Amino acid sequence: MTEKVKLYDLSKCTGCRACQLACKQWNQLPAKQTHNMGTYQNPSDLQPNTWNLIRFQEVSDGNGGVKWMFRHDACMHCTDAACVRVCPSGALSHTKYGTVAFDQAKCIGCKECISACPFEVPRYDPEKDKIAKCDMCFSRIDNGLEPACVKACPTGALRFGDKDEMLKLAYKRAKELGGDASVYGDKFVGGTHMIYVLPEKASVYDRLPENPRVPLSIIAWKDWLKPLSLLAAGGVLAGSLFHYIIHGPKDTGGDDDQASQEGGK
Amino acid sequence: MIPKKGMIKVSDAFERIVHWCLAISCIVLMISGLGMMFHAFNFLAIPVGGLKNLKLIHNFTGLIFIPSLLFAILVWWKEAGVLDLPDDFEWIKCAGGYLWHVENPPETGKYNVGQKAFFLAVAGFGIIMIISGLIMWFPLSLPTGLVRWMYSLHALGFFVIFPFFFVHLYLGTIGVPGSAPAVFTGYVTRSWCNKQCPKWLRKMEETGKLEVYGEEKAVSEH
Amino acid sequence: MTNHWNDIANSDCILIMGSNAASNHPISFKYVTKAMDNGAKLISVDPRFTQTSSKADIYAALRSGTDIAFLGGMIKYILDNNLIQGKYVKYYTNAPFMVNPDFKMPGENDGVFSGLMDGKYDKSTWSFQTDANGVVKKDMSLKNPNCVYQLLKKHYSRYNLDVVSRITGTPKEDLLRVYKEYTKTGEVGKAGTIMYAMGWTQHTVGVQNIRIMAMIQLLLGNMGVAGGGVNALRGESNVQGSTDHCLLFHILPGYLKTPKASLPTLAAYNSKYTPKTKEPKSLNWWKNYAKYSASLIRAHYGMNATLEEGYGYLPRLDDGKTYSWLDIFDEMYKGKFTGFFSWGQNPACSGASSNKTRQAMTKLDWMVNVNIFDSETGNFWRGPGMDPTKIKTEVFSLPCAASIEKEGSITNSGRWMQWRYKAVNPPGDAMPDGEIITKLFYKIKELYEKEGGPLAEAITKMTWDYGPMGADGKIRHLDTHMIAKEINGYFLEDKIVKGKLFKKGTLVPSFVYLQDDGSTSSGNWLYCNSYTEKGNMAARRGKKDKSGIGLYSEWAWCWPINRRIIYNGASVDPISGKPWDKEHPVIMWNGSKWVGDVPDGVAAPGSGRPPFIMKPHGVGSIFGPGRADGPFPEHYEPLECPVEKNLMSPQCVNPAIKRFDVDGTDVDKRATCDPRFPFVCSTYRVSEHWQTGVMTRWCPWLAEMQPDMFVEMSVELARLKGIKNGERVIVKSIRGEVEVVAIVTNRFKPFSINGSVVHQVGIPWHFGWVTTAMRKFVHGDKKPEVFTSGDAANLLTPFIGDANTMIPESKAFMVNVERKGV
Repeated sequence: MTEKVKLYDLSKCTGCRACQLACKQWNQLPAKQTHNMGTYQNPSDLQPNTWNLIRFQEVSDGNGGVKWMFRHDACMHCTDAACVRVCPSGALSHTKYGTVAFDQAKCIGCKECISACPFEVPRYDPEKDKIAKCDMCFSRIDNGLEPACVKACPTGALRFGDKDEMLKLAYKRAKELGGDASVYGDKFVGGTHMIYVLPEKASVYDRLPENPRVPLSIIAWKDWLKPLSLLAAGGVLAGSLFHYIIHGPKDTGGDDDQASQEGGK
Repeated sequence: MIPKKGMIKVSDAFERIVHWCLAISCIVLMISGLGMMFHAFNFLAIPVGGLKNLKLIHNFTGLIFIPSLLFAILVWWKEAGVLDLPDDFEWIKCAGGYLWHVENPPETGKYNVGQKAFFLAVAGFGIIMIISGLIMWFPLSLPTGLVRWMYSLHALGFFVIFPFFFVHLYLGTIGVPGSAPAVFTGYVTRSWCNKQCPKWLRKMEETGKLEVYGEEKAVSEH
Repeated sequence: MTNHWNDIANSDCILIMGSNAASNHPISFKYVTKAMDNGAKLISVDPRFTQTSSKADIYAALRSGTDIAFLGGMIKYILDNNLIQGKYVKYYTNAPFMVNPDFKMPGENDGVFSGLMDGKYDKSTWSFQTDANGVVKKDMSLKNPNCVYQLLKKHYSRYNLDVVSRITGTPKEDLLRVYKEYTKTGEVGKAGTIMYAMGWTQHTVGVQNIRIMAMIQLLLGNMGVAGGGVNALRGESNVQGSTDHCLLFHILPGYLKTPKASLPTLAAYNSKYTPKTKEPKSLNWWKNYAKYSASLIRAHYGMNATLEEGYGYLPRLDDGKTYSWLDIFDEMYKGKFTGFFSWGQNPACSGASSNKTRQAMTKLDWMVNVNIFDSETGNFWRGPGMDPTKIKTEVFSLPCAASIEKEGSITNSGRWMQWRYKAVNPPGDAMPDGEIITKLFYKIKELYEKEGGPLAEAITKMTWDYGPMGADGKIRHLDTHMIAKEINGYFLEDKIVKGKLFKKGTLVPSFVYLQDDGSTSSGNWLYCNSYTEKGNMAARRGKKDKSGIGLYSEWAWCWPINRRIIYNGASVDPISGKPWDKEHPVIMWNGSKWVGDVPDGVAAPGSGRPPFIMKPHGVGSIFGPGRADGPFPEHYEPLECPVEKNLMSPQCVNPAIKRFDVDGTDVDKRATCDPRFPFVCSTYRVSEHWQTGVMTRWCPWLAEMQPDMFVEMSVELARLKGIKNGERVIVKSIRGEVEVVAIVTNRFKPFSINGSVVHQVGIPWHFGWVTTAMRKFVHGDKKPEVFTSGDAANLLTPFIGDANTMIPESKAFMVNVERKGV
């Protein structure tokens, strides 16, 4: 199956938040009471009931003016997904499209994915004791539709299609934009399935890691310690067996004491 | 498994309760942990109705493990937590005679260096398991970078504790016959004591503190 | 819109001014983005840096209410640098027309045009010179000092960069950047478009804001071409449709005029409003006025009355009197009404000076509130500051169906009439508006028949055949297709028109077949052709675009006669007939006829027929004597402004506005240059809410994204007032106050106005107390899932309207901002 990619061109995003709402509608995510904290951005962060969020950010343009930037923040759907690596229950898994699906029924609320994700995407829902995140509308894409957010986007900032085609478009657009523009997503964690076209350097954007990767601690845990502990466990099991057979049990009995025989049983 | 006359008391009821609390919680934790650590062991969750229950069992067994470990440390710290040099060094040199044949292994006190190492490993990594486990359970307010390492530490803890646990199990049962009653009745044979902890036996006899089943307790102190 | 949404994609330069399209017309940005992908430049001019500005190539800030100064400077720039599209201006506008030598302009007449008397203009000097045959004199060289072009030049010579910058607060280099970029579209084959909305209309000079841009578009040859035009982004999905069908007091459907008391007969009425011209080649389409008025009367009364009788039943305006929203609420406040239907609206929040509006409703005996959700209007009697025990008004609430719960059409900003189907049944007792009106009609008719009354026939003789007729002579249910057909119109008798026989009862194919003898009906001549014997044109869903410029002529239907770009006759060279823009031809002569869009007004190439056929002389009005406040737009300050005097002239505010603060009641207070209210304030919308928020504040997903009424202000102002971002503050004007959350942002910057610092703030207008947590809920009240906070922005706005339309000035007024509890 061809890998699918959601392409997000920040230069075309107007921050209308149709994507944020369409996501809630398709996935039937309830609204929660919020308050204006001095910004249009609301809710203030991704939440169990907010799987994609437009981040509003103002930066100086260097000429006394201002730039107002909008970023559609949601699961990046990594190929080498830390969340999938750590998920104990298989709730998080890769689909045939390369996206990271999430099966809430399987989730045990262990929150390991939350700390593993280099993009800080999964959110814990204490009411359900489960996590939640964007699954790129698997129910839609598996039926030949684009994700709800893409469907709702009026400007074409969000697009959806085959990976090769989307990457081609992304590089073409980045080239058109020139300057600091770049394609973000294809060069790390095995390639993400949400690809950004960033008009500015990645470091300019709030909460966007410059060099995201599967954390060393997760590699240490999953790639080293897990096999090692299996090895060690197996080792002692085998070792004990061989010890018993070759070396034999320790003789703790005495001629003077019968009880030892029974005690040893 | 009723003690026989002449057997020697090596553990009191409190010690035995602590031991079993620790042992059982540890076994449950290891099995349930294993069920979550490897997808191949997910089947371990079937008897309890799924991984979510397994997780709950793991977490709440952890809550039993915490006091058990703390009491264990309190109880055994003096006897198992401190090396008795230079005798213990001698013991290390010949591995206590457990791995190859040694004519006269060095005499040990109540616990030999192997047992002390086991105790220290369980105590040390047990605390690490408790701290990392609690953080994993309630991670949300701590920096992600810190939380991430807790998972590695927890895995490291398993990596260390399991081998020790298994060796302990082996030596406490078929590896060293006659040991098991120590944690059931508290009484072992005199000969077992002579082999396993001659120094302690002598000391107890010298101080008259030795309790022998079926005999009046040494009375001098009373 | 003279053009339509898709057509924005054809533009070379898009000016968005008086609008924040990216937020409030998000779909429009699909086409803006397309245009930009093809190399178009986007210019955003706005007091604050908006979501639209964030996508713009050029952004310029201006103080609210100074658009005419800004654009007057652009006209001067165009003329000084000779950037006009010469042939276009000469042949397609009234630039060569010679004006009455007695006409005086503000620069030489104390800031007003000649003829001002008691706040009203006598327009006799605003006229053209004519020759012996009555034909307007012209100077095709555009050099005569009395020709429109030279007068224009003279008038806007006062709008130099320096003065404009001191009025608008826009730095000169920003003015120049905008002028330079936009006027590039004066080149033949280039098109510039303007997207505007309430940021231009809601001013005391609202109409003139749009006028001045229309003049620029004419000068640059941008009217009638693809990617050009003057494009109003309507504030509601169907505001175009409701205006076409006579939402406003002074027009009847199809922009026919509401009769005045001084016009006793149909003949007098037709004669008064049928424009005349001696211009030999002008088509002067409005010469058909009598056909449209006759057909309208027939649509109302059928054969139940003669045309003359029918004319007699039409409502009359008293001469010299206006009946706008402001007038209605002013009268209501004065206790002149006993009853009021509030239908699909929320005046308690939407009307200027909401405290006055809310008080006005307490003077009523009864009010009927028809809406889909609970509103501040339906509950005005228990709102803030109200004592229900002292209010006599009896309120009846009628729940009605939402748009998806009924069938019918809407007409979008691009004049596309699109049929919509019913998706679900209305909930509970809710009924479609049409059903409610039908019930009302029968009841009122019954009462008139029983009790009589003045002009009872106006009701009793009305036809009401919008559905299958029951035995009692009443329709059994409403069939919206029947209404749509009546709007289109029927032949009421067998009739031969243009050599073709039409049987009685057939639908009229288009308005060129309408008759003035009463043999045809049409509820709105502009929509004649929308529902013909070929079927419901608005329901068409053809996806082919034969034009190649995105006309999609088989998708739905567009007035007039499916013409997608009006004035398109001006998109071709007057002599050769070749399109100005070879890449985006709207119409093309194929040797025997025009192909492409439905041609507008043009005859064969070289015929010399001027293409602006809705104008008597056939040309676009650079000189526009039809307006109440001057033939050329002139900068006047808003009613409430931060400056002592108008830098342009001694006349501070528009002299032709109706001043409620002078003649009106004590609530119509004004605070201009008042140190208590030092900051300019403007109102606007956000993407997440709509209108007063009645439809959106109840939607939890939307309320979650924008839960609180807020005020946006500059970092500098916040520092001055000790306000922190996210803090709750009070915004107050002389008329009221509202508690809001402060958004402190670099997107607002202080203006330098004539050397002094002037701060501007902005507030959204969507909020109201009904969906707040603080209000009292009693049994039966629905509680919002997500509460909002804050009351209406209109508590602050002044009770003043535009000189032509009376639209309230809610985009520029004076306020103060204080920390809560200070």
